[in-house]
Amino acid sequence: MAIVLSITPTRFRASGSKLDSQRRYISKVSSGEDLRFVNGQNMDVSGGGLRYVTPTGANVDDGVYTGSFSGSAGTRVKV
Amino acid sequence: MSGFTASNSRIRVVETVSNVDETVFDTDNDMPHIVGTTYLSNVAVDFDDLDETQNYVGEECSPTYTLETVLVWNPAVWDFTWVWNPGSWDWVYNWSYSTTDRVSTYGFFSQERVYTPGFYEWQSEWVYDPCGTYVPYYEYSVDAEEYSSVTNIANLPTDEDGTALDIDFVIVQATGTRSTGGKDPRFNQALPTTVPTKTFSFQGSVLLESSGEASGDSWFRRIMSVYPSGSKLKLKVQESVKSISRGAYNTGFPHIDESRSTYSFNLKVFFGKFRQ
Repeated sequence: MAIVLSITPTRFRASGSKLDSQRRYISKVSSGEDLRFVNGQNMDVSGGGLRYVTPTGANVDDGVYTGSFSGSAGTRVKV
Repeated sequence: MSGFTASNSRIRVVETVSNVDETVFDTDNDMPHIVGTTYLSNVAVDFDDLDETQNYVGEECSPTYTLETVLVWNPAVWDFTWVWNPGSWDWVYNWSYSTTDRVSTYGFFSQERVYTPGFYEWQSEWVYDPCGTYVPYYEYSVDAEEYSSVTNIANLPTDEDGTALDIDFVIVQATGTRSTGGKDPRFNQALPTTVPTKTFSFQGSVLLESSGEASGDSWFRRIMSVYPSGSKLKLKVQESVKSISRGAYNTGFPHIDESRSTYSFNLKVFFGKFRQ
């Protein structure tokens, strides 16, 4: 049977261990992120070329791209 | 020290690792969570055939054979011709002897002047001209194109009042099939697609098709993007084509009319927020 709630001096578990102090949950941070969540268009095409916007917001072009698309950086997330 | 606290509207879980307290879970932090899920079946993406243009380059000469007829005046001429005057045998009465003798006269050549009057005549002949005519020649090019279309494919999740939530991120889980495999207009082969045959996830945009020139430079891209905007989930389809030349005269791109591609996607869309 799934653990509904378990509290011991070294561990906390609830809701069938969906919340478990020995696991790591991700949260939004302002710095020191482990990864980023992209929200929105992060590629554009123009002139037969492609611009890719990295999760940090940097533009990576293929040398052919002629547009002016600017994506936005993804949200910083830490584990 | 590891622990759990619940006070007022805050739940906090701390794990102590090597004497360092690490926050495992804290409702005061902005924590990503899914506020809604939408299933979208048979989302169609359709890219039309590319177009080409015939470009006049110039003219080149071409050899010809022409039957030419001219009126020629042949002037009058005087010619000297040798004429043979044949010899003859004649009977001659010899009064001295009262006999009839046979007498021969020798043949001889004589020269006579013959006149031929001048006259006109038509004369025909085939005349070869290595550059007798000029023929236009053309080069074909794929038309440059920038295509974009945006459609609403779903409503964003709403709150209790029916107001669309301000979505912080979208995760798309997709399966897709290319129902029409467009061909590279230069070759009898389908454009490479990057859509996997299995389920794939993405945030933002996906490259669907691309093609390059001999130098390796891109000249053709097709992408799609899925993102929230206002109260809708948007699907943006884009195609970008740089003009390329055929590289040969008087022949078009053999597969220009087979370059259309169509896709059908099943999308499972997760709408996420960091703070309720």
